[in-house]
Amino acid sequence: MTEKNHITSSCSISNGTVNKDDHKAFENHGLDISAFLLSVYQYFHFNYPKFYKMDNLSKLGWLAAEILLQNDFHKYNYQPEEIGVVLTNSNSSLDNDLKYFDTLKDIPSPSVFVYTLPNIVIGEICIRNNFKGEHAFFIQESFNADFVAQQVNYLLDNNILQACICGWVDVLGREYKATLFLVEKKKTEKSLLFSAENMNSIFNKN
Amino acid sequence: MANMDQTVYIAGVGVISAIGNNVAEHLASFERGEAGMAEITLFDTIHKHTRPVAEVKLTDDELIAQTGLSTHNGRTALLSLVAAREAMADAAIPGLEALRVGFVSANTVGGMDRSEDFFVRFLADNSKGKLKNVFDHECGSMTEIVADQLGITDFLTTISTACSSSANAIFYGARLIRNNVVDVVVAGGADAITKFTLNGFNTLMILDKEFCKPFDEHREGLNLGEGAGYLVLVSDKVAKTLNKPLYCTLSGYNNSNDAYHQTASSPDGTGSYLAMKKALDKSGLKPTDIDYINLHGTGTPNNDSAEGTAVKRLFDPEYPPMSSTKSFTGHTLGASGGVEAVFSALAIKHGLIYPNLRFETRMSDLPFEPERKFLKDQDLKHVMSNSFGFGGNCTSLIFSKI
Repeated sequence: MTEKNHITSSCSISNGTVNKDDHKAFENHGLDISAFLLSVYQYFHFNYPKFYKMDNLSKLGWLAAEILLQNDFHKYNYQPEEIGVVLTNSNSSLDNDLKYFDTLKDIPSPSVFVYTLPNIVIGEICIRNNFKGEHAFFIQESFNADFVAQQVNYLLDNNILQACICGWVDVLGREYKATLFLVEKKKTEKSLLFSAENMNSIFNKN
Repeated sequence: MANMDQTVYIAGVGVISAIGNNVAEHLASFERGEAGMAEITLFDTIHKHTRPVAEVKLTDDELIAQTGLSTHNGRTALLSLVAAREAMADAAIPGLEALRVGFVSANTVGGMDRSEDFFVRFLADNSKGKLKNVFDHECGSMTEIVADQLGITDFLTTISTACSSSANAIFYGARLIRNNVVDVVVAGGADAITKFTLNGFNTLMILDKEFCKPFDEHREGLNLGEGAGYLVLVSDKVAKTLNKPLYCTLSGYNNSNDAYHQTASSPDGTGSYLAMKKALDKSGLKPTDIDYINLHGTGTPNNDSAEGTAVKRLFDPEYPPMSSTKSFTGHTLGASGGVEAVFSALAIKHGLIYPNLRFETRMSDLPFEPERKFLKDQDLKHVMSNSFGFGGNCTSLIFSKI
């Protein structure tokens, strides 16, 4: 018997636009991805020097998680072990892998090399927020809301987690898209039922 | 029924590395002070003449002949089977078939050595290459292949947490016994040298061009090694049925993470300090009770500085003898916690302290230095073994005399 879980917040970053829940939070068109991500960081007045060292996948996921958790996420109601992260994408860390490959012509870059894994973005989000729960990164052809719902419901319904950040974070070259959902067991005024339909609707809208 | 106070005993050990193919050969190499590093022979690489490695001195063909495993299993599984079999034969547990037996095995490269062979031909012509040569290459397959050969079916799992992998496998195995899930666990790990690990560590600029010098002021990096090491852990009930002396107990263990950087330890060694401190707490011991520390001691500037700082913080002003056996075996990555757990158990059983080879100059900010001589007839009651991995994954194990 599946308990009912709820999307208490969502954040999408794509096409030069940041959406938080059902409203547009920021837009800035015409920039390349690095400049755009930096403009998001500056617009929201984030102060986290490590951001500058990250690859674009980690920057994108980190920014989406920061904006997702702004304001009303009472994370301190949860123990670190009760919050997890389940992310998916279709290009793994290929964007950064190719940049690393370019450095092989000269001297292989240690600082680029350490981002040649997709799940590093989960590490960056967890380190920032002191999350210590279960986490997983899946590589799939396209966003599979049913699969994400199954994974996250399992973790929540079995009390392995009390809250979970899940969704899609993908970067390759000029293409990028992140859609993250905060899923909790409690209903709030503006929360949506945690379902594949609702995830797809938010994912496809942005 | 859980019995959390249950003592976990070490009943058997098995090891293979660059300095020997079994326990007896390791003890002889330690006594002779012979390191296992040399030029790489396993594969072609531009680093051949500039990056010494510590290879197991058996070819794949020789390992296949010795183990009876088929050719497409990969070197990690071959090494794993040699050491795990030795450990089980050493333990010689009567009536094993009636007991619940687990296999908790760690590795980080899986069958990557074979994948790398396949990839070269396949990339040149994607109609080339046999798929059987990339089958069963994930880390978990190494465990399953070896468990099949050992006849272990009750509980299997694989742990892959970089260089602390097999130390974590050992304490996971101990928890299985304490929680009465199994009666016997073969726990440890294996890793073979691969192009990916050699090139990756080279990219990180932490490979020494010479033989490594752990805990030396002028250390310049690690030498990559390979091997496997396993302990046979048994419950109190099983320990009473054995016809030979036990090695020691696993009295303490802890895993802590400093979440500082993907590959580097925090400069103050927060993770390593917490792992050592909490392992002591778990065992109910004080720092002064430790008679020997088998250091993680990779020989990289970052590890030895962080580990040294943590040792100083915990042990100052009374330091036990300590050494890095990676000065003999190189850094066997996912196998190192298992390999060095075997060395720790042997240290207690035979009263040995291993030398830290090539040490010359004390690190400028540390008030202690590692042991340089091979010492026999030591009365070692408690030995600490450190294994610290990428991702800040730090584990300490404590072994105690019975």
